[in-house]
Amino acid sequence: MSDLVVSGASVTHGSTLAVDDVSMTIRSGELVAVLGPSGCGKTSLLLAIAGLLPLRDGSIAIGSRELSRPGRTVPPEKRGIGWVPQEASLFPHLTVGENIGFAVPGGRGGAGARGRARAERIAELASLVGLGALTNRAPNQLSGGQAQRVALARALAPRPDVLLLDEPFAALDTQLRTVLRREVAELLRAQGTTSILVTHDQEEALTLADRVAVLRDGHLEQFGTPEEIYQQPASDWVARFVGDVVELDGAWRGGRVTCALGNVEAAAVGFTPADGDTVRLMLRPEWIVPRPDLLAHAAAGADARVASISYAGHDAMLSCDLTAGLTVRMRMAAVDLPQVGEDLRLAVQRPGLAFPVPA
Amino acid sequence: MTLAPQTAAAPDPAATAAPPHPRADARDASSATRPPLWLEVLASLAALAASIPLVYLVVRGGESGFDRIVETLTRGRVLEYAANSLGLAAATTATALVLGTAVAFTLSRLRVPFPRLWLLASALPLAVPSFLAGYGWLVLAPSMQGFVPSWLLLSAVTMPYVTLPVAAALRGASGDLEGVARTLGRGPLSAFFVATWPQVRPAAIAGGLLVALYALSDFGLVAMMRFPTLTWGINAAYSASFDRAQAAILALLLVVLALLVVLGERTARGRVPRAAARAVAPRTIGRGMLLSLLPVVAAAPVVGVAIPLLGLATRLVQAETLRELDVPRLLAAVGSTVGVALAAAALAVVLALPIAALAARFRGRLVSAIESVGYLGHALPGIVVGLSLVFFSLAVLPALYQSVAVLVFAYAVLFMPKAIGTMRSGLADVPVALVSVARTLGDSPLRAWWRVTVPLALPSVGIGALLVAIATMKELPATLLLRPTGIQTLATELWNRTVVFEFGAAAPYAAVLVLIAAVPAMVLSGIRSTAKEEL
Repeated sequence: MSDLVVSGASVTHGSTLAVDDVSMTIRSGELVAVLGPSGCGKTSLLLAIAGLLPLRDGSIAIGSRELSRPGRTVPPEKRGIGWVPQEASLFPHLTVGENIGFAVPGGRGGAGARGRARAERIAELASLVGLGALTNRAPNQLSGGQAQRVALARALAPRPDVLLLDEPFAALDTQLRTVLRREVAELLRAQGTTSILVTHDQEEALTLADRVAVLRDGHLEQFGTPEEIYQQPASDWVARFVGDVVELDGAWRGGRVTCALGNVEAAAVGFTPADGDTVRLMLRPEWIVPRPDLLAHAAAGADARVASISYAGHDAMLSCDLTAGLTVRMRMAAVDLPQVGEDLRLAVQRPGLAFPVPA
Repeated sequence: MTLAPQTAAAPDPAATAAPPHPRADARDASSATRPPLWLEVLASLAALAASIPLVYLVVRGGESGFDRIVETLTRGRVLEYAANSLGLAAATTATALVLGTAVAFTLSRLRVPFPRLWLLASALPLAVPSFLAGYGWLVLAPSMQGFVPSWLLLSAVTMPYVTLPVAAALRGASGDLEGVARTLGRGPLSAFFVATWPQVRPAAIAGGLLVALYALSDFGLVAMMRFPTLTWGINAAYSASFDRAQAAILALLLVVLALLVVLGERTARGRVPRAAARAVAPRTIGRGMLLSLLPVVAAAPVVGVAIPLLGLATRLVQAETLRELDVPRLLAAVGSTVGVALAAAALAVVLALPIAALAARFRGRLVSAIESVGYLGHALPGIVVGLSLVFFSLAVLPALYQSVAVLVFAYAVLFMPKAIGTMRSGLADVPVALVSVARTLGDSPLRAWWRVTVPLALPSVGIGALLVAIATMKELPATLLLRPTGIQTLATELWNRTVVFEFGAAAPYAAVLVLIAAVPAMVLSGIRSTAKEEL
């Protein structure tokens, strides 16, 4: 098995540049999520990897085998790359078994050794995705989740080097989505299949993937582990896109920012501020914690009053008015929540991120 | 100038809510690419073939010279023909529009007993060729003639062109909007016109276009009723064979009128973005109201189908008819009718396939030009295509003059739009993603086409072929002009006997025509009773 190497890839879509100079190496057996908002070019990137769109610049290769470069695209059927589209796209004129066996040689008849081997492979894949009893069903008799399982089994059947999943869970309801995506991730890891999952759902990308590629307007903004993406975003845009942020402006001095939340330790991202410069401090809401023990300390933390509570069961988002006249949001586990109107002493429990103040 | 009638009732994909991005991506991915050259060439050749009748008619008509054209067009008789054609088309269109919309509203928005049965009955007149309806009425009332019977019978026969698409549009139209208008203070009628009518209007106007074209190009019925319209005049001028130039000039005039109608429809139809549709529960109405609506709903099936069939049946069962029956001759007519129909269906499908494949997947100026030419047959009256191909074969391919080949070609040009329409939507309905999936699963383009596109689109090819075959069996004016000597179809046999008032001798041909053309058309429209295709 070898790595999938995308280097300097650009894809045009009509007259616009959908993917602009994207480079990434996906290691064998890895599950990578490509995350970005609608229209960021993530599906175009996927189609280019599948060989369904040509490259305008750059190259795509698996190990030493070049698959795409400008003017030369190995056709989809010769690339060994599987594809699970957004909506299951099962062949409506074929049964579940025939769908799964679409790429398994041996013909429909089932006679002879080849036919038997094919039937066995279909049964094996059907039970792999938990649909062993349904091989004679027609696609329109399946639920959305079942249809996606069949599409997955069908794509796995020819043992592809790389499997591409294009928002495969987007059409499912929330509960089913959570269950199915965990199952699918486990199955892909068990099979050791190199996989690329396209999604616009941050939670999906962070929970499932080994590494996450964040795409914006065709550019690769950041490529890293879920922790890196969330805790050390490469830009303020990535910070805002992958999770909730609290933004406060303050004065930079020697690795600390003095702002409405007090004097907060911070790391500057992508620039080097001089002492006294105004910077924008970004925090995750759960980095802000109530610290009753600091109530007496004037230097650390800030006084605040709970203005409203948005309760979500497992946790809650609190809006707190700072005495400085600003409002910050903080997330805390929904155990022993304070009351609206209660006074709190807030502190920041880990270093924040400092970005330039936008002009 | 795309005459595809189904576009009127189909939701405009560009106007509906933006689809989730990735799918749009996948679809655009294919439409962004240029069509393959071989497909463009094949489709262009097919369009070129379809344009022969019109182009040659223009060439031939132009040879007459300007003075001759003006002189011909200003003759009293010609003005009378043109006025009769226009008057008949206008009256028929207005009647079909008003009654058809009323019937569609009744069947889809009011609670009536057996709504599907009534919808099916409303579709039936489509299956009856106008001259067959004329024959059935003449059997019962031999003295019928002139404008009024032509108008009423044509209205009955063409009403489904309005009823079916409007009913479909009403089913697809959001009833919520009407409710919103009511809560904003509108009365029921005002709410209908402000909220629902705009969603239905394009379908109604597109249906009206088909009615107007049908009325302009009808020959059999107006000739039987001896109402002299342009088609009648063309035939008369052609039959007096010393004056073929005049026939050509009249045919040109008829084509110009038809194209004007098409252009008028294009500007009047407009496009309405569709609201998300939700089914509306039909409203309950009183028994008295229901009874008063019965004549409206029943008018077209009774006038266009029931009474003509009754007339046919009374003549068929008479002893004299059965005694005079010439079985070998009848069988010969059946054989040649079915033979040319199958040949025409095959040729039309072959010509339509590249155009449909091109239009289903690709956009652009060349594509829409090719598609429009493919739909030309919709606007060309049968008698015009027949006349032009007579001239064409005489001048260019004399060996083929009065051969079956030219006759089959005429049918193919006339009815190709039916094949293009169904095959195009059948091919377009095959999701691009499915073909791409097959490619990623190891299929070459040709193999993916064979394993995915063909099986999924095959039913639409079959339906397209069947529509062409049925229409061919019912065709009269082009057949009269182009049929080889000695070959008679059921339609021409029926025609020849009816014009000399031999109703008994005509009856067996009419009956068989009903059996092999009208009944399949009825079955087909039953299968697709919600469909808006013309049969």
